[in-house]
Amino acid sequence: MMMTRRNLLRMVFDAEAALPARDTLVCVFLRGGADGLNLVVPFEEKAYYKLRPSLGVARPDQPSGTKAMNLDGRFGLNPALSALKDLWDEKALAIVHAVGSDDQTRSHFEAQDLMERATALETGVSGGWLARHFQTTGTEGRSPLMAVGMGPRLPETLRGAPVALALESFDEFHLARNSASPEALAKALERLYGAAETDLANAGGQSLRVLGTLDRLRQETYTPGGGAAYPDSEFGRSLISVARLIKAGVGLEAACVDLNGWDTHFGQAVLIDSLQRDLAEGLAAFRRDLGETFKRVTVAVMSEFGRRAYENTAFGTDHGRAGVMFVAGGAVRGGRVITEWPGMEPGQLEEPGDLRVTIDYRDVLAEILEKRQGQLQISRVFPGVPLRHRGIFA
Amino acid sequence: MKRRDFLKVGAAGAALATSGCGKIRAKLGDWLGDGGVPDAFSVAAGAETDDRVHLLNRAAFGPWPGDLERVAKLGTEGWIEEQLNPAGINDIACTMRTRIFESLHMKPGDMYEFKKKVVEEELTRYTVLQAVYSKRQLYEVMVEFWSDHFNIHIGKADCAWLLAPDQRDTIRAHAFGKFRDLVRTSALSPAMLVYLDGRENRKRKPDEMPNENYARELLELHTMGVHGGYTQRDVMEVARCLTGWTCRKENQLRKARVEFHAGSHDDGEKTVLGRTIPAGLKEQDLERVLDIVCAHPSTALYIAEKLCRRFIEDTPPPSAVAKVAKAFTDSGGDIRATLRATLSTGEFRAAKGRKFKRPFRFVVSALRAAGAETEARPALLKYLQSMGQAPFQHPTPDGYPDEQGPWLGTLMWRWNFALALTSNAIGGTTVDTAGLAKAMGAPAGSEPEWFLRHALGREGLPMEKETVREFAASASDPWHRRAQALGLVLASPAFQKC
Repeated sequence: MMMTRRNLLRMVFDAEAALPARDTLVCVFLRGGADGLNLVVPFEEKAYYKLRPSLGVARPDQPSGTKAMNLDGRFGLNPALSALKDLWDEKALAIVHAVGSDDQTRSHFEAQDLMERATALETGVSGGWLARHFQTTGTEGRSPLMAVGMGPRLPETLRGAPVALALESFDEFHLARNSASPEALAKALERLYGAAETDLANAGGQSLRVLGTLDRLRQETYTPGGGAAYPDSEFGRSLISVARLIKAGVGLEAACVDLNGWDTHFGQAVLIDSLQRDLAEGLAAFRRDLGETFKRVTVAVMSEFGRRAYENTAFGTDHGRAGVMFVAGGAVRGGRVITEWPGMEPGQLEEPGDLRVTIDYRDVLAEILEKRQGQLQISRVFPGVPLRHRGIFA
Repeated sequence: MKRRDFLKVGAAGAALATSGCGKIRAKLGDWLGDGGVPDAFSVAAGAETDDRVHLLNRAAFGPWPGDLERVAKLGTEGWIEEQLNPAGINDIACTMRTRIFESLHMKPGDMYEFKKKVVEEELTRYTVLQAVYSKRQLYEVMVEFWSDHFNIHIGKADCAWLLAPDQRDTIRAHAFGKFRDLVRTSALSPAMLVYLDGRENRKRKPDEMPNENYARELLELHTMGVHGGYTQRDVMEVARCLTGWTCRKENQLRKARVEFHAGSHDDGEKTVLGRTIPAGLKEQDLERVLDIVCAHPSTALYIAEKLCRRFIEDTPPPSAVAKVAKAFTDSGGDIRATLRATLSTGEFRAAKGRKFKRPFRFVVSALRAAGAETEARPALLKYLQSMGQAPFQHPTPDGYPDEQGPWLGTLMWRWNFALALTSNAIGGTTVDTAGLAKAMGAPAGSEPEWFLRHALGREGLPMEKETVREFAASASDPWHRRAQALGLVLASPAFQKC
């Protein structure tokens, strides 16, 4: 055999294929700044109830009414997230609290961009953190469906990935079904895009390859496993698609799913309860649907920032700093709230009244990539950041 | 007969008018000399993209058949000047197509008479039809630009009802005006007061905290840019200045009326960007804030950068940004002067093919290149939805992104749209490929080469010609061959760029 560079690479990757396969990482982004303090309630904090007289979620030991569900004697789950309790009891869900980025602008876009790029613009490092993960682990022999953003557009997290696809719903992903000859069209497009500049050539080639795979999947009807009932929502539908791709074994390594609408400046209670139910019921159904396959899956839920410690006069909360992350998966050492709790008394808060960030969200992501995604060069994914594992995995 | 019923009858009449009289209207347009595809028009023939096509790709939503002659006749500068004075352009043919949408002519408070679905659909169809058919193309391009800049999501609270008045009274009224007027109108637009919670921003008791949502976006997205040099403190102070402005709700008398309530206003002294705003100015605080932020050098730079990103390239050359920012400052924020400066930079002329069309531009430019007859019905709008750029559907106030990255994943939809369009498989939209080929003077059988020239503004490359010819030949009859040829040209990588 002639030892071309291509063959060499293939051998390296074949050798790697003997190692256990990587997990599928599902990144759920709660866009708008989810109110970590009400999702996972620090009910031992007297200041919490002082700062949130009308929005605060009552202690678990209240005799009746809406109250937090006790997790560890210190933190309680918002009752609207009760569907997550099974995952918690199964010890497959870890919660990271007072976690966040070093963004100070409190701007959604800056903070989301920064979190998704996971590095300051000034560093000159481009693309999203998941994109860099894929850049640094090689793509030879990997599936064109290795990285998917569920939605009409690719999220910043995957921007710059060697292979990544925006997928709204694969039932709709087909080539000119009405045209006389889809095969002739595919051939013509392959030729035109093959000769285009790099970005377009890559995007065109990927779309064509994925069309082939999904054509095959579409033939089958799908019934979620374990009697799982997904919420009838965009989020629920996205999760079903991710579950189908995982179970179909098409080589999916990362999927990004958005859940929008957490920017609760006004009338928060009404907005946030249905969002929380959507989130919790969606993840619970996803876990049930996957069954044994869940062992090889990690789900990370994050938001660009938490919200201010005190409520505003419109029964809402303004942009704050630290928030909460959820990490679920077969390998997670769950049933624990991981935190370096900064406290909520005056003097403990950061101006103008925000929970301080005591765990960098990149610590969490780095641990996932290193422990479950085969990442050996983490400093190239998060350059210039001192990283510390937080014991999310054994 | 109640008012609501009366309106229903009106809407039914309008629906009739769209379906039955479409052809008559188009014919009338012909008679007025400015509608439809002309009987004969020329196409570009050089090896490189024609300068006129480049101009029309950016300062318009791509050439409509015959536009090249117009630019040739007036010259580049003449054409730009004509476009900068839209009132002088006869746009009757377009107006005839879009005047049927009754909800677009209502006062904000009267909008609630309509069903949500009706107001959403009318505004969206209107927006697409204007972009396709208006002769005031640069104006429409700027309407899109400012709609992104002052983005409002149709899905938030009752924004659906308030968006059409915002489009009419804020964006369209000031798209070519003074920047400060535009920002001021936006600040007091009912839709914006709802979208960014300005109407909830009040201080009635000493311990009440203002809602800073609008104040933050005013500085970050509407004027100075996130790195414009303001602080968290400035955001809070601007929010204090704007306390008391509100908009009446749907269930109140005089709904959607914008009012200043002195009792909800924080009338203490404020400091914004180092400038003191004395106590007691009440609603004049707003004017002071606008004076300070609109004249701030960061604002000129930020607007210039956005214009250059839209008109020149994703990473705007600093040299062009500096020129445009200077024009903005020198003209006191005059949008036309700033645009004139943008389009006359050498950087603009040199940027041929460097932009990746966003889905809206791709769809509109394809309809224009094909000289399509469309009513912009849901079957067409669905494609914009699938590609993620339906008008007014961007949830967050930063507006749809301008750079190519987020849009590269939409290729399959573009391919399917292009083929469906030219095969007349989109409801309410038709293309006459035979008429188009005849008007450009393409000899029978050479349509592939001519469609390439027409849509790309240059001679097709040998590989392009061969591929399009082969694909066309795979169809069984001349009609399908033409449909496949034009469809593939519009689906090709070169047509995704501008």
